[in-house]
Amino acid sequence: MASGFEILHRLEPSAFVFKAIIGAIAADVLLLAFILLRRSYRMHYFRKRDARVFELRQQWDALISGEIPFETWRTKSFDRRIIEDMALDAFEAAAADQSARLLKFLRTSGLIEKRIFEARKLKGWRRRTALVALGRTRAPEGIPALSEALRDHDPEARNAALRGLGRLGSPEAAEEILHWLAESGLNVPILPLQNALINCSRERPQILLPYLQLAGPQLREVLARVLGEVASTSLGAELIGMADDELPELRAAAARALSNAQPGHAVEVLGELSRDVVWFVRLRAVVAIGKLYDKKAIPHLIKSLTDSNRLVRMRAAEGLVDLKSELVSIFAQVVKTHDRYGLHAFLAALENADLRNRLDAEIRQAAYSGIEEDREELLVVLSAGKLTEPQTATPAQPIETAAQ
Amino acid sequence: MIHHFLNLANYTLFFYYLSGNLVYLLALIIALKTSAAHQRGIESFRLRWITESPLAPPITLLAPAHNEEKSIRVSIRNLLELDYPELEVIVINDGSKDRTLQELHDEFKLRPVRMVYVQEVPSAGIRGLYRSDADPRLLVIDKESAGSKADAVNAGLNAATSPYVCIVDSDSMLERDSLLRIMVPVLADPKRVVGVGGIIRILNGSEIQGGQLIRVRLPRKSIEVIQVIEYLRAFLIGREAWAQGNMMLIISGAFGLFRTDLVRAIGGYRAKAIGEDFDLVARLHRHLLEKGQEYRIQFVPDPVCWTEAPSDLKSLGRQRARWHKGLLDTLLPNADMLFRSPYGRVGALALPYLWVYELFAPIIELLGIATIIIAAILGDLSREFFIQFMIFGYAFATVISIGAVLQEELTYKRYSDWQDVARLVTYCFFEHFPYRQLHMVWRLQGLWQYLRGDMSWKPLERKGLHTTTAP
Repeated sequence: MASGFEILHRLEPSAFVFKAIIGAIAADVLLLAFILLRRSYRMHYFRKRDARVFELRQQWDALISGEIPFETWRTKSFDRRIIEDMALDAFEAAAADQSARLLKFLRTSGLIEKRIFEARKLKGWRRRTALVALGRTRAPEGIPALSEALRDHDPEARNAALRGLGRLGSPEAAEEILHWLAESGLNVPILPLQNALINCSRERPQILLPYLQLAGPQLREVLARVLGEVASTSLGAELIGMADDELPELRAAAARALSNAQPGHAVEVLGELSRDVVWFVRLRAVVAIGKLYDKKAIPHLIKSLTDSNRLVRMRAAEGLVDLKSELVSIFAQVVKTHDRYGLHAFLAALENADLRNRLDAEIRQAAYSGIEEDREELLVVLSAGKLTEPQTATPAQPIETAAQ
Repeated sequence: MIHHFLNLANYTLFFYYLSGNLVYLLALIIALKTSAAHQRGIESFRLRWITESPLAPPITLLAPAHNEEKSIRVSIRNLLELDYPELEVIVINDGSKDRTLQELHDEFKLRPVRMVYVQEVPSAGIRGLYRSDADPRLLVIDKESAGSKADAVNAGLNAATSPYVCIVDSDSMLERDSLLRIMVPVLADPKRVVGVGGIIRILNGSEIQGGQLIRVRLPRKSIEVIQVIEYLRAFLIGREAWAQGNMMLIISGAFGLFRTDLVRAIGGYRAKAIGEDFDLVARLHRHLLEKGQEYRIQFVPDPVCWTEAPSDLKSLGRQRARWHKGLLDTLLPNADMLFRSPYGRVGALALPYLWVYELFAPIIELLGIATIIIAAILGDLSREFFIQFMIFGYAFATVISIGAVLQEELTYKRYSDWQDVARLVTYCFFEHFPYRQLHMVWRLQGLWQYLRGDMSWKPLERKGLHTTTAP
């Protein structure tokens, strides 16, 4: 028999091209046939599925209550998949009493048990699908299987397990995630991890604290960010400790947490953080102070209005403008800073909130000690959009765009 | 001598054609594999996780508009209706001479605002800034025209306040969940992913109602259907495959997401660039590779941006000539990246491919066809071989086109009508003859215009995003 090299040697260019033509045409025909067959199959499949969904929907109450024995459909994968999808979709949108009924159905029908089995035994995308479905059931008995999948070598499976645990939204699930993090470090994308932990630790944020103290810097930052979202008033002392941390990310997270938890001394601590050396800590602190809507925050926000960072100035101005009841006195203090960039930031925030006319009217009507001296200057500054005398320059060089 | 030359030219064309199609075949195989994996991944990922997350990073949508009075209301309403938790929309009215600004004013109740606008990247003068009373997420920048989309985007970039900017065309239409989908790779790896491109698909022929796509249909005109196949091939095969090796050099200007700080760091768009989208991605690669940073520029095939394609030969020819000018305009300043170690695979594979199989394609192919014909006339080429060669090239290239349709069928299935799929497949047989040859002529014109210094940009005739019903 001739070798491959000999055959190639014997082929004339023309013969080679001729064979290539045959190959290319055959490929065209095969591709076309594949498209047509697949279309036909899918059309048939979805028609059948739609009809079955309709039938099962008619019998839904009997299915859920067990009036139709589970054995009649559980062994048929086509029916089982449809019923599981319908139940999980209903579960996600259900009120408390309906949820309990659906969860009972998922348990007694063996659907949860089956998903636990699949999450443990299957591999690849089948395992991922089982993990996600298990998470959607929010059944605590799924936690061990999901937790095992966190140790899978496939990153996609780990992500699916993490999301599944996140859907459960229970402190027990958070414990499993934190335990796994302590054991193996950060080897999943940060955002899904943070989302899962936020969902699971909202009820009991204290579970984060021991890990926050003992973990490495990167994990501490992640956990601090989570704590920033879920912190409650009971964590006041711990949050103050976090505000003194050496890691800027932690101080920034402490600022966010303080605005969520709102302990009594939040303004003072946030005021300190608004003078931090790191710009994003100052920014976070200023945003947090603004969210407190507290008059005690005004001096800190006025000070931040003269910050060297443009974003800090913008957020401070927004915080000040949000305190709508004090607009005149705030504006007087802004003018007294003699900082034209601070003034621009304040006026921009004022116009964005559509409060310029209101401030104008309030200045004209205001009555407090010393207002007569200020009134004219305030009105001039407000209408001209600039200070009445030349002032010192600050670092950024913004271009003012005049409103038409 | 002439016989020797003709012989050489014919062999060159043969191997050029063969290698070009083999590269595409390889890309098709990679794309089929990766999109199957992507589909599986998406099945276990629910987009609601992003909308429910308090940590989803904010996005600023930048929509430059120049004389878009016909479609601006619908397209901006479409942008404001997108599903994403933290969204800011900046429309840049780039010196429109029609009623674009007035239309925006009427629809969104704009009022002038004074803002601190720091010109971090260069752009033409700003005439005014407007905030919408109807939707506080909308900011409109009215600026002088500098004659380029790049300059308008730069103005928006200066005003953007989010860590990510998404650049869109204001005459295009995004699917409602497209921002959630384009963010999937960013959320999976926020440290490394610096840019993501979505897919651009052709809107012509589809049913639109109130700024939303109601039913996807194939366009009626042949010239539009062939463009559908072209887009499918370019996005679902080409970009999918190049992105796998982190070598994707084009993120379409109609829909691309970037990290704001990086775009600002490289000075934003190059205002004079003809193909500003390609130029930006090439400079991003250069910047990050020179810094030795680990990064990814990705393509996601399911966030869809629908756009109107030229529906007559003249407009299409003009568009393709401009694209080819843009290609040369970007490849020339980046020629120093070719085969140099800091630029890795981009310099060793992606850029050489663009030079050889894209930039020089019209010259090589048209010259090659001419030499084959001359050789056949002079009797230097057997008529049998000539015909066989043509059939082979045609059939092989058609495999790739049908492969692109298959890719669409396997994954995204936007055309639900049997008739549409049948027509799409039928037109795969016309893409490589006579459309391809015509396309080469347009591209050659683009090269010629560039070499003559003709950099003018003529706007394409658009019908706008009015409510339409399919035939």
